[in-house]
Amino acid sequence: MLIRLLFIALGVVSTPFAAHAATANIDVRGPDGKPLAGAVVMIDTPKKPAAPIRFTWGTAMSQRNIQFDPHVLIVPIGSTVTFPNFDKVRHHVYSFSKAKKFDLKLYGKDDTRSVLFDHAGAVALGCNIHDQMSAFILVVETPFAVQTDVNGHATIAGVPAGGATVRIWHPSIRAKDNVLAQPATIAATGFTNTYTIRGR
Amino acid sequence: MTVPVTETKRERRRLFGFQHLRTRLAVLYAGLFAITIVAVAIVAQVMIRNHAQNSVRAELSTSGIVYDRIWALRAKSLTGSADVLARDFGFRSAVASGDGPTISSAVANLRARAGVANAFVVDTGGDVIGDGPADLRDAITDLPSTFADGSNNAVIATDAGTYRLIVAPILAPVEIGQVVFAVPLDATEMRALERLSAIPLSATMLHRRADGHWMSTDRTSLGDVALDRYVNGATRSSGTKLATLDLPGGKSFALAIPLAGRAETPDAALLLSYPLETALASYRSLQIGIALAGAVGLILVLLGSRRLANGIARPIAALDAAAKALEEGSRAELKVEGSDEIARLAESFNTMSAGILEREHRITHLAFHDSLTGLPNRTYFRQQMEAALIRAPKMGEKAAVLCLDLDGFKGVNDTLGHPVGDALLRQVGMMLDDLVKDGTVSRLGGDEFAIILSGRLDNDRPRALSQQIIDKFRAPILVDGHQIATGVSIGIAIGPGDGEDADLLLKSADLALYRAKQDGRGVFRFFEPALDAAARKRRQLELDLREALLTGQFRLNYQPIFDLAKDRIGCFESLLRWEHPTRGNVSPSEFIPVAEETGLIVAIGEWVMHEACRQAADWPSHVRVAVNVSPLQFRNSGFSNIIFQALTRSGLPANRLEIEITESVFLEGEDGVLQVLHQLRGMGVRIALDDFGTGYSSLSYLRSFPFDKIKIDKSFVDRVAQDESSAAIVLAIVDLAKALKMETTAEGVEDRDQLDQLRGQGCSSIQGYWFSRPVEGGAVLDLIAEPMSAAA
Repeated sequence: MLIRLLFIALGVVSTPFAAHAATANIDVRGPDGKPLAGAVVMIDTPKKPAAPIRFTWGTAMSQRNIQFDPHVLIVPIGSTVTFPNFDKVRHHVYSFSKAKKFDLKLYGKDDTRSVLFDHAGAVALGCNIHDQMSAFILVVETPFAVQTDVNGHATIAGVPAGGATVRIWHPSIRAKDNVLAQPATIAATGFTNTYTIRGR
Repeated sequence: MTVPVTETKRERRRLFGFQHLRTRLAVLYAGLFAITIVAVAIVAQVMIRNHAQNSVRAELSTSGIVYDRIWALRAKSLTGSADVLARDFGFRSAVASGDGPTISSAVANLRARAGVANAFVVDTGGDVIGDGPADLRDAITDLPSTFADGSNNAVIATDAGTYRLIVAPILAPVEIGQVVFAVPLDATEMRALERLSAIPLSATMLHRRADGHWMSTDRTSLGDVALDRYVNGATRSSGTKLATLDLPGGKSFALAIPLAGRAETPDAALLLSYPLETALASYRSLQIGIALAGAVGLILVLLGSRRLANGIARPIAALDAAAKALEEGSRAELKVEGSDEIARLAESFNTMSAGILEREHRITHLAFHDSLTGLPNRTYFRQQMEAALIRAPKMGEKAAVLCLDLDGFKGVNDTLGHPVGDALLRQVGMMLDDLVKDGTVSRLGGDEFAIILSGRLDNDRPRALSQQIIDKFRAPILVDGHQIATGVSIGIAIGPGDGEDADLLLKSADLALYRAKQDGRGVFRFFEPALDAAARKRRQLELDLREALLTGQFRLNYQPIFDLAKDRIGCFESLLRWEHPTRGNVSPSEFIPVAEETGLIVAIGEWVMHEACRQAADWPSHVRVAVNVSPLQFRNSGFSNIIFQALTRSGLPANRLEIEITESVFLEGEDGVLQVLHQLRGMGVRIALDDFGTGYSSLSYLRSFPFDKIKIDKSFVDRVAQDESSAAIVLAIVDLAKALKMETTAEGVEDRDQLDQLRGQGCSSIQGYWFSRPVEGGAVLDLIAEPMSAAA
């Protein structure tokens, strides 16, 4: 399955739209003006991709060392995310998010559960046993979604030129569903912009 | 410029012008102590106030801290309660799924369990679930899960009141809402807080109004500028500063504790206040105690000062009174208490006043007593006599005065000296005092004593007493080992018959005494009117003498003195003649004593000197003029001047003037007489000793002065021819004079036999009726011209 995912990713990169695609370079800054790492930048284009969306990072949300891993997982809509538990203790993973409410009752090590995410949106994950455990699964309908790096930078290649909507998600964003949305025009030569988040 | 100074002085004197030292001391001490006590009381009050303020501040701060702690605990407990709910899976599920009824019931359940007034759930969308005042609900729609200071609780103020909020986030795991407790900081809460404190402070919740003023939650505006300034200051600084504010409860100590709100600046503050009145109430007893102690101290000080001032001032006041008494002539003995300076002063004062009085008595005694005999003196005597005379007629009494004079006292002084004379007088005084028990003995002066007998006199008493005295003094008196034979003459006058006043009576007694002396001394005489008449006669004679001197009734007669060696008249003795218009010729023996007594002799003698010189100047140059000089004239210090003037004015050579003196001039003391005699001799005037052989006739007089001539008294000359002894005396005198190189003149030669005898004995010159009676001045030159030698 891992190999297949990888293949899908490569397929995306080598789509025919590549000739009309541009690379978007987006910087996200927090309310304090500092680079905001871990924000999810999503570019919605009018034309929906025909092929199923696949991301290179897969659809697994592990529990390791009493933490979710990764902290933010971007998955295409309709993905089934697995919740492998690598800890010796049991976890009770749940979500009250509208995008997906679920409740994985206590399960132990190597006891893998999976959940189908069939609505787009951010799903906040928690563990009813461990308060400090927190993670997000972003269910997206676009292939152009990526997390900002430690410099608050995100590079998305192959974005079709033309009008688009740039959406940025971060838990600290004080907006509906923690998402900011802003229309943008993707030039053929590329798109570069810096988004500064309003908030507290 | 001096006016203000005196004004000031007067002012000061008025301010401190207490009449009594005691008052001044008392006021000074009491004033000083009062000032001290008041100062101490003020310091004590200030300290008490400070102490009260410090205690209240500590108490208020403590209350604030306790309140904070309690709130921290309560917040913690409430947070725990809220957290329990917020973390409940089912609750979170309900919140996440927006299950309103479930949430409501959970919140209600929580509210009951935690025992808070208001509990809410606020979701991220701002929906508030739970019961509570609308404005509170509005206020909490948008709350951060932690506040400015990082805590989860804050105090907010709404129109409905002030609330303390406890916020617990509902995490799923991201925050999907908050559980909020709102505890109203209302009156109940404040009362609970007040009960926490050890002191009855009052707690008030303040919140900031829109216009920036602070007011209490119960809408009673405390707002004034001072409060605003203080609370604003307190919110800015963290320290607890106590202020004194005017609050509805009165002036109070106040401590504002700002309560952290949502934002940086607090919405509310807790004001702990404590009325000054109450704070100081517990010290009131202390204050009253101090005031009482002060008052008691003041009273004690007043009493003490008074006592002290009395202690100091009373002796001084006594001293003052005693000094005043002394000033007025009486004497007050001070009581000497203790041995301090004042006691010594009192002692000294007593000594001093005693001394003053003693001296006063002595002075008084001296004024009224004779210092020699200690008997009353003339002044006292006169007073006594006047008193007796005033009393006598009223009581039908009599007052007798006895004037006494010692016989021959002058001789005692001359022969035995004044000390013996004084001792004699003292003894006489004592003897008289012993004798007279019913009268007053006085010494009037010299050897003159007087006795007053007054009251109910026996008619015979003056006589009997006089006789007693005379008998007593008949025996010689032993004085300093000398037996002195003296006698006493007494004149007696009895008032008011013999004189109505003291002077008259004394004069009468004096006249009687005079008579007694005239009657041979050692007797007493009563005053008789005849005595007064004689005295009047004498006084008239004196007046006539003065008149005679003024009107020139005197003239000089001259009796020649025949020089036996040269058989011619060598000298004329001038003799004073007074021919009064009505009295006729008055004998010198009659008027000379009066002239001597009255001192007129000096003026008369001066006239005689001038007249004799004036007339003698016309005589031949070998004829001298002799002038008799009274001892009284010698006593006059200007005597030699008078002679000098007489000589100068008349142009008579000094050696033609012969002064005749009697031995009596020496009785007054030789020194002065000899000095005058030498002075006269120095001028060239001749000096003759008259009446030699009579009187005291001390031969030493002849040695003391080199007389030019001795005149042998008529009493020797009278019998020189018949009586061998007289002849012997004359011979002796002549021989003596020859030996002393003095001339001799025999007086009163009346017949041939006498002349022969005298010539035979070598007498230088003679004088007498045998040769010539005195002649008028105008007849002198005729007499000189007569062939007198035949007669001789």
